[in-house]
Amino acid sequence: MLGEVAQLALNGVMAGTILAVPAIGFTAIYAVLRFPNFAVASHLTIGAFAGWVANTVLGLPAAASVAVAFVVAGVAGVVNDELLLKPLRPAGGLTTAIAAVALTIVLENVIRFVFGNDLRGYALPIRRDWQLAGVRIGPQQVQNFALAVMAMIAVFAFLGFTRMGKAMRAVADNPTLASIKGVDADRVARLTNFVAMGLAGVGGMLVGLDTSIDPLTGFRVILSVFAAAVVGGLGSIPGAVVGALTIGVGEELSLLVWAPAYRTVVGFAAILLVLTLRPRGLLGERAY
Amino acid sequence: MPDGISRRMFLAGTAATVAVGSMPSVARGQGGAIRLGTLTPLTGAGGNYGPSMLKAMQWVAGEINAAGGVLGKKVELVSEDDQTNPEAGVRAARKLIDVDKAVAVMGTWASAVTTAVAPLCWESRTFLTTVSGSDTITQLPHQGYLVRTQPNTQLQGKKFAEFMVSVGSKRVAILAVQAPFALPTQKIVGDELKKRGAELVSAIVYDKDKTTFRSEIDQALRAKPDMIYLNGYTPDVTVVLKDLFKAGYTGAKIAQAYAVNTKLLGSLPPEVTDGTYTIAPSPSVESAAYKRLAKALGNDDLDPYSCQTHDHISLVCLAIAHAKGEATGTTVKDHVRKISQGRGTRVESAVDGLALLAQGKDVNFDGASGPCDFNEIGDILDTKFRYEQADKGKFKLLKIA
Repeated sequence: MLGEVAQLALNGVMAGTILAVPAIGFTAIYAVLRFPNFAVASHLTIGAFAGWVANTVLGLPAAASVAVAFVVAGVAGVVNDELLLKPLRPAGGLTTAIAAVALTIVLENVIRFVFGNDLRGYALPIRRDWQLAGVRIGPQQVQNFALAVMAMIAVFAFLGFTRMGKAMRAVADNPTLASIKGVDADRVARLTNFVAMGLAGVGGMLVGLDTSIDPLTGFRVILSVFAAAVVGGLGSIPGAVVGALTIGVGEELSLLVWAPAYRTVVGFAAILLVLTLRPRGLLGERAY
Repeated sequence: MPDGISRRMFLAGTAATVAVGSMPSVARGQGGAIRLGTLTPLTGAGGNYGPSMLKAMQWVAGEINAAGGVLGKKVELVSEDDQTNPEAGVRAARKLIDVDKAVAVMGTWASAVTTAVAPLCWESRTFLTTVSGSDTITQLPHQGYLVRTQPNTQLQGKKFAEFMVSVGSKRVAILAVQAPFALPTQKIVGDELKKRGAELVSAIVYDKDKTTFRSEIDQALRAKPDMIYLNGYTPDVTVVLKDLFKAGYTGAKIAQAYAVNTKLLGSLPPEVTDGTYTIAPSPSVESAAYKRLAKALGNDDLDPYSCQTHDHISLVCLAIAHAKGEATGTTVKDHVRKISQGRGTRVESAVDGLALLAQGKDVNFDGASGPCDFNEIGDILDTKFRYEQADKGKFKLLKIA
């Protein structure tokens, strides 16, 4: 029993860390642009496919492919936002959120059109797991964990120590004040989109590294990403990490209580609970 | 003629009128074409099969039309994608039924999609032909508006249990995707194993939308199985197979051939897939219908579903021709068993059957998938199964029985 709990908790932390990467992206866009951008789902998929091309077609190793996933998904995020979502933003957050859902459906089908429906796996050796004191852990899991942690450290360093990062936080905290101080909101918006969608792309690739990818990869995890962001506090970046770990571990530990088929319930239940008891989320909505 | 009909237009119009007049009556009957709907999984988990299933039907429709159509009317196919998703399937079926007024909806693949679409069909008296296997489907109150060419869960479960015991398995675990067939299969396989002195030690139903199944696999392995039955679809079974390998499982594995298929073997290294057994209802590979279809589609190794949809459209067209009246879902329902079984002349193609029916003779259609004989609730009476095993990334045929 204890071994089982330890194994589930470990699996949960691993899954949660990977989930945290796109969740940071989702919540960052919410913090700066004030709308839930569900197009994170398709950018997750775009990143996964970009990484796949880099890895299997160009023969790059996994870590370098993750960088490609970041850049391609980030650029796609900026372009899509400039062309499609930005013109709608004056119409309100809800309109933009609905447009983002539509955008995600379109982008998924574009991917389907180009790559087809087949499942694709990255060109990585599949290795047996390590067994440590009755708990098993996979080499790929450890690598993914490390990549996710590195991505998060980079984000926090960017927000904490760079001028642009500070500008982003300023706009998130108080857009009016930021603009009075001369922060260019447009530039910040573009940068946010680039970083956030880039992170979504990295998340997509990390999800796919351990499993496989298809055009619906992003769509499958968006509920968990959304739940993580809401639980942590929409707009709070450390909150997204806490939320993702909560959802990850919660989904795994739920297996002690009920059948795996009901695992998704955890995401919904978490959203419901948080919105009922603590609508600001665990860490509130301060961006950083 | 500045603003009237130009000379050129007049000439073209005249030519067209003459051409229409000289066309055989069949082509002029376009307005009264017989409209049939196809609803196959062009995308989603069944996306490997849907396009070929559709092509098989398009080929049959082309053959029938080239030979003069059904009762002098052209067969017109309207094709929709069910996305292997019940919601999308319902939307598409609504369109086929309400907008296109299709006589029949043919080719639904996933059991969940068929279960969702079937009520729309029987309520609107539209005939539904499906390749889904879940027992629950033919048990629906469909009033005869449904037949399927895929053996049901009962028959498949029995074949799986028989085979697992025959290769020496004593402790079986099932990892099943959440689908209408998951629980019935569990029960049937459990019962059939017990009859043969083996045991179902663990049965887990998982949610296919999760990105990893590590915890589910831990749960299954705790029961120490010597055989794991992977009762899912290709996307999730791919992940489960990888996770089983990583978890250090070395026992036997078995799956439906639609889940562990050539595509899956291509996407995973052989050490992960080697030894996996697959079972599938076998098409009637020796039949003339199969050989013709294989040639038409340019594929020697047809999947069972394309063979089945070839038979679906053939059955529907023959039933309409047998009824000789208006083409409706009800006429198909009332006549399908009169051309699929019984003492009529055995035919293996819709075109041959239509010719015989036009001469007033009775026919018994045997298709590319098998004899296509149905019981009163729409299940097929008999079919063969094909047993294969993955070996170095390829399938090795064990037997067809």
